[in-house]
Amino acid sequence: QEVDMQAQAEGIRTVFSDPTNFNVKHPLYSPWTLWFDSPATKGRNLPQTPISAFPQTPLPQTPGVAAAQGWMEDIKRVISFDSVEEFWGLYNNIIPPSQLPQKANYYLFKEGIIPAWEDEANKNGGKWSIQLPKDKNRANVDKMWLYTMLAAIGETFDPSPTTNGSNADSLITGVIVSTRPQFYRLSIWTRLAPSATEEDGLRERIEGVGRHFKTSVLGYADAAKLAGPLATEVEFLSHKDSEKKGKAAKKIII
Amino acid sequence: SNTKGIPAALPSALATARIIDDIGSVQYPEGILSPKPELNTNAKDGKFRYDRDFLLQFMAICKDKPDMLPPLDAIGLEPNDQSNLAI
Repeated sequence: QEVDMQAQAEGIRTVFSDPTNFNVKHPLYSPWTLWFDSPATKGRNLPQTPISAFPQTPLPQTPGVAAAQGWMEDIKRVISFDSVEEFWGLYNNIIPPSQLPQKANYYLFKEGIIPAWEDEANKNGGKWSIQLPKDKNRANVDKMWLYTMLAAIGETFDPSPTTNGSNADSLITGVIVSTRPQFYRLSIWTRLAPSATEEDGLRERIEGVGRHFKTSVLGYADAAKLAGPLATEVEFLSHKDSEKKGKAAKKIII
Repeated sequence: SNTKGIPAALPSALATARIIDDIGSVQYPEGILSPKPELNTNAKDGKFRYDRDFLLQFMAICKDKPDMLPPLDAIGLEPNDQSNLAI
């Protein structure tokens, strides 16, 4: 039996045992798509990019998504991937947030979900986000974005993505980094958002995502106060409340 | 005229490697951490979860540019300095 196990082990070559001739790769919990936009991608007649060239990008004909298409025209689909090895090949060949132009965004979303709140997977959800002053965080933002992506593709934001037998989908739909003249913003988009009326443990689960983001991904102490000039706490807002702009917005702050 | 989609190079190991279907059976070389087993206690259908320390180990190894990556300047994805110069 020992020989059998050894033979089996020898048949499997990961990148760690053979970086050029490996024969297995590590599948991700979900396939992901990276999108990008910046002022340079807007209104320019760029070569056709995969968003329009690839028919598998789902654009269901609902009014909301039709509206989102205008928004999506300026957002370029960079690539999709479904393994750990492919993620790193991509990561090692694109530029980090600190080198992006101003007003640029990376959107890393599960394949089939467009980075717009109109998407079926996003419309009942919300986002955790934090805003960080640029001058103090230029040296941190690349690592923060990397760790955010790793928690997303490793599926560790949501402590129990599969507990609800019926609902095998995890809460996370995508993550975003935005560069602005004075600050960076990191966001985690969720499929659902807790409402005031129903108490089904969802709020606890959403707060768990926010706490993991603040402490494990961003590296802050649980009780750290982060708000300041150009800076916010780690805060959650549903997409529906975001539309209301202020008044009725009920933020959750971690 | 229909040559655009034909890959020029031989398939990379990445293209031919198969998906791991039992993450617990993989033996890593000495010094390489396995994914934390508690993340995958009920894992099936290749739906594996990976902790950060495990994932970071690939960073220095998986450096090849993906075949499907478009030219970055074509989508306006260039480092800040260069895009300023280009304009």
